[in-house]
Amino acid sequence: MAATPSSKAKTFQSPNKTPTNMYRKSYLSPSSTSLTPQTPETLTPLRRSSRHVSRKIDLGNDPIDLPGRESIQEINLTPRKRTTDVVAETLTTPKTKKKKKIDVEASFSPISPNRSETITKKKKKKKRVYYNKVEFDETEFEIGDHVYVKRREDANSDEEEEDPEIEDCQICFKSDTNIIMIECDDCLGGFHLNCLKPPLTDVPKGDWICQFCVVHKPPPLQGKKLAKRTMREKLLSGDLWAARIEKLWKQEVVDGGCVYWIRARWYIIPEETVSGRQRHNLKRELYLTNDFADIEMECVLRHCFVKCPMEFSKASNDGDDVFLCEYEYDVHCHSFKRLAQLVDGDSDSDQEWNGGKEKEIDSDDEEESVCADSKSKRGLTGVNTKGRIFGVEKVGTKRIPEHVRCYKKNELEKAKATLLLATRPKSLPCRSKEMEEITAFIKGSILDDQCLGRCMYIHGVPGTGKTISVLSVMKNLKAEVEAGSVSPYCFVEINGLKLASPENIYSVIYEALSGHHVGWKKALLFLNERFAEGKRIGKENEKPCILLIDELDLLVTRNQSVLYNILDWPTKPNSRLVVLGIANTMDLPEKLLPRISSRMGIQRLCFGPYNHMQLQEIISTRLKGINAFEKTAIEFASRKVAAVSGDARRALEICRRAAEVADYRLKNNNKTAKSQLVIMADVEVAIQEMFQAPHIQVMKSVSKLSKIFLTAMVHELYKTGIAETSFDRVATTVSSLCLTHGEAFPGWDILLKIGCDLGECKIVLCEPGEKHRLQKLQLNFPSDDVAFALKDNKDFPWLANYL
Amino acid sequence: MPTIAGPSSSPQKHVVGSRSEIIGGLRSAEVNTSRKRKLRSDSAAEVAATTVLSGNLISTPMKWKSPRRCAVSIPKTSNEEIKEDSNGKLTSPVISAVKNLSVCLDVKSKWNPRDDDQMKAVKEALHVSKAPSTVVCREDEQRRVFEFVKGCMEQKKAGSLYICGCPGTGKSLSMEKVRQQAEDWAKQAGLPCPETVSVNCTSLTKTTDIFSKILGNNESGKKANGSSSPLQQLRSLFSQKQQQSSSKMMLIIADEMDYLITRDRGVLHELFMLTTLPFSRCILIGVANAIDLADRFLPKLKSLNCKPLVVTFRAYSKDQILRILQERLVALPFVAFQSNALEICARKVSAASGDMRKALCVCRSALEILEIEVRGSIDQEPQGPAPEGQVVKMDHMIAALSKTFKSPVVDTIQSLPQHQQIIVCSAAKAFRGSKKDRTIAELNKLYLEICKSSMITPAGITEFTNMCTVLNDQGILKLSHARDDKLKRVSLRVDEADITFALKEIRFFRNCLL
Repeated sequence: MAATPSSKAKTFQSPNKTPTNMYRKSYLSPSSTSLTPQTPETLTPLRRSSRHVSRKIDLGNDPIDLPGRESIQEINLTPRKRTTDVVAETLTTPKTKKKKKIDVEASFSPISPNRSETITKKKKKKKRVYYNKVEFDETEFEIGDHVYVKRREDANSDEEEEDPEIEDCQICFKSDTNIIMIECDDCLGGFHLNCLKPPLTDVPKGDWICQFCVVHKPPPLQGKKLAKRTMREKLLSGDLWAARIEKLWKQEVVDGGCVYWIRARWYIIPEETVSGRQRHNLKRELYLTNDFADIEMECVLRHCFVKCPMEFSKASNDGDDVFLCEYEYDVHCHSFKRLAQLVDGDSDSDQEWNGGKEKEIDSDDEEESVCADSKSKRGLTGVNTKGRIFGVEKVGTKRIPEHVRCYKKNELEKAKATLLLATRPKSLPCRSKEMEEITAFIKGSILDDQCLGRCMYIHGVPGTGKTISVLSVMKNLKAEVEAGSVSPYCFVEINGLKLASPENIYSVIYEALSGHHVGWKKALLFLNERFAEGKRIGKENEKPCILLIDELDLLVTRNQSVLYNILDWPTKPNSRLVVLGIANTMDLPEKLLPRISSRMGIQRLCFGPYNHMQLQEIISTRLKGINAFEKTAIEFASRKVAAVSGDARRALEICRRAAEVADYRLKNNNKTAKSQLVIMADVEVAIQEMFQAPHIQVMKSVSKLSKIFLTAMVHELYKTGIAETSFDRVATTVSSLCLTHGEAFPGWDILLKIGCDLGECKIVLCEPGEKHRLQKLQLNFPSDDVAFALKDNKDFPWLANYL
Repeated sequence: MPTIAGPSSSPQKHVVGSRSEIIGGLRSAEVNTSRKRKLRSDSAAEVAATTVLSGNLISTPMKWKSPRRCAVSIPKTSNEEIKEDSNGKLTSPVISAVKNLSVCLDVKSKWNPRDDDQMKAVKEALHVSKAPSTVVCREDEQRRVFEFVKGCMEQKKAGSLYICGCPGTGKSLSMEKVRQQAEDWAKQAGLPCPETVSVNCTSLTKTTDIFSKILGNNESGKKANGSSSPLQQLRSLFSQKQQQSSSKMMLIIADEMDYLITRDRGVLHELFMLTTLPFSRCILIGVANAIDLADRFLPKLKSLNCKPLVVTFRAYSKDQILRILQERLVALPFVAFQSNALEICARKVSAASGDMRKALCVCRSALEILEIEVRGSIDQEPQGPAPEGQVVKMDHMIAALSKTFKSPVVDTIQSLPQHQQIIVCSAAKAFRGSKKDRTIAELNKLYLEICKSSMITPAGITEFTNMCTVLNDQGILKLSHARDDKLKRVSLRVDEADITFALKEIRFFRNCLL
């Protein structure tokens, strides 16, 4: 936020004057940049502001301005996208527009006569056609675009009004596009450079504040000014909405027309968040929410541009509709999360992904081609988007494209996919008791109208489902909040491993609660005010706050003050703080200073290692509906893991590996095998790979001379019984072995090198090589391991005699 | 305090009023909530059944406000009596407590654990953050601190005091009370009210910040000159004579003072030195756990003759814990705990640590055990009458205590995976007799022997090290830090007898351990 835009010039000049000025294209607005073929026809949408036009020209003239990554991507994407451009018109009559989506779906099925059978079969329920890009009302809208959206209630009033595209000068109240306009950084009003007193010739560097704001006096209002508010003003006063287009589709309605819908992801203005507008919020700041809605295209007014702080600081000349978004706001948990910086990079990848997954229809003229050639493709690629859960989607995450849509996965592949650790299971078996306890604890703490601060410590060995249990409890609670049976709360989740230093936790907590990033010292001060003294951040922070700290033991500093502070807050009156700490060590509270363990309370929850029955159940629940594993194979794997560690991750990994092994085996056998299942032998192989230490493999694959060298060392060990030996003696043994079995003795230099090589692999522990023959050597692994590795050796069967 | 004090007196009125209310309650369909409670307070069995029924009819939102309403409407006379009763017999707290309780039993209404309001009230009374109105069992210490402060204020001279004691013995709470007392006293005595600075040293980002905090409170109006540090400003402030009018005393309470200990102890030293300056007006009270902080870290102070007075807060004895618990619960209009349940809690906690926070937590968890039990019985017979005398009894408390204080070692060992059990077993063998610690490699050798003798495929060395780390996390083994995995020293942290006991059920291990 430090790089606030210097002074934004509102440039409303006509296109022919643009070369001199400082237009920078914003690549958050793909409609005007990346996709338009530079032909005269596409430059037509003149109903919209002249700004768009000028930008396009700018792009054509000055492509060097584009960031390199972007331009490359553009080149890559252009051919594909160009074919997918859809020119569409609104055929919908007002009546059909009012139709609800459900009605449409229900009433549509009778009228699909001209579809091929396969299509109708697949698309029985879905009559949506998805697009990447739609031209609507002479403007192109594309996935990832930001748009203004009408508020329902005042939709009528807005329609009558004419939206002023260009803001009036605050002094002369005229909108002259030929004069450069400058924006005040405080009130966001526009001023013509030559209307100012004294007139400015150039846009000044740094912040510029108008005279009105300097004297804290509102500019004189004129009657017409109120009527002609710009969209930006309407948005910031809450009369409009801004949204990001997540999806575009066309839905046909009964009387043959079709309605375009978008799935909008809303932005909200700071006033609408739980903490209200705060001092650090910029005038043009918005928050991205996780709230989605399907709306008709009719409600969309026009484009706006929401940028991340870095781009925002660069975008000094992009006109009035530029906004800044730095944080994502969770409307349910009322917490803030900083967006990944590369909003753009992944919005591109999103597009690619959407392109792969959702159907793009090639239709130039909607009258003719909508039916004809787009059908077949639609049939092939009918997409079910219902499975996508939008709540968990993060802007920062990159999705893996599903390459081959038509290819049907076999059972083994499905099994492999579900056994991936990254796949979130639908249910969590074997942990219902623990989850109940957590739920009871949280509810007991936050359900009281006066929330009493408490603390719970959850411990258990790795891979026993600690974090996932807590998270799924929180998810259930969230559902209850939405249902209204639980009062809302804030939820902050922190992983100790992701903190740069333990103290940083203060600023992370504060940022999540207020959406403002400050240094940890300041954050500690604010948090102390909030939790210890009961002052509130923002207007209505009476909500209880649940703090989940994963890997709590990493917060232990030398004097343990971080833990002290965090655990001290719940003991204060009015803190309304519930702390859940997760760590592996069972006796963490006992290791801490007594004053801290005294504050930690006695609420403990232990996640024991899974036994083999539980592991078996976990694997079978994951594989429910997929017939890929023999029952004994699963049991074998779970028993093996339960005997050693009881780690569910390990068991899943073994099963997945076993599925891979089986897949490979079946492919090699060319389907001669009768059963397509994973059998015990596959699991055995997987376990061997996983549990067997890598050193055996290394020893099996070392060179011949190294094997003789190792044998000599083991022999020496047997003879003397002393672990440590010298190179001198090993060399003597090697030479005698070679002599007896007719091998050529390689010479001392080479032997020394072999010894050093084995030392590098840490098979042998050795002193540095300068000592030459006095170098001390020692086997790093038990001699049994070496013997096991070298026993059945094809090259030197005689080695076994010495082992 | 009225909200707390009020309800305690309400039962008497309930009892009086209940007779007439019964009829009213039965008659009117829309029962007022306060009436409902009064109804419930009657102990007659046949009435109880009807009350529950009518209680079920009442919409829940009405319930929420009821305790407050009672609190406002009722005069406080009976409460004072009870207080006098408890204060009058300070010399023999047990007797007074028992008597107190028996008085309460007579007076107080029946408690119904099914009532959310009542449950909430008990939980709130037992919560750590809820400061009681009077700090019982710390009168002596409090008086001593207050006398000290008073003396300093009267003579207008500086002084320092160090308070030590175990965690959860009411140090910070008492200091808060002393601060209030001092302010009240100053008002009464006509002295200028002392400025107080309460700092929790853990919340300082830098140790030297404490000076700017003191200074910041002292001269919020004046502009600090940038050249000198806060400490220097403080020094100059206290070494020059001030005009009499502006000289207020300053009371500095530094909680968790040991966080100020730096390597050269400069900050702590300077802080105490402030009290020795000629015109110093600050009364310094330091609070920490260590009993000999002043002696250990500030030996110089003795020679300068400004060694702080030391007040020790001893760990609570069982009588004191019992009294405090009763003091907290006496404010409630009903009896939730059996007296002997509280006593066993007090005995156990005082024997273990004397930590009041722990005692409160144990009580709460006992209450939760009861809550679960009650909920279970509701599930079975939802319309059944409220069971008689469902209070937290001995067995609930014992369950809560065992949850808190029981060592989980045996259970942990029994639930370990087999290979880890073998490791524990081999460790027990290795450390039998000698207390010398071994390296992981040596332990591995023993483990391999056991595996070999019983024909089990042993886990590899890397797996073995992983398992040892897990056991270290669970507090069964202790691994020392070493660069090389194999050279880490291992020692056993649980008793061998525990291991033998835990594994004696399994024949395999019985043979191993022989």
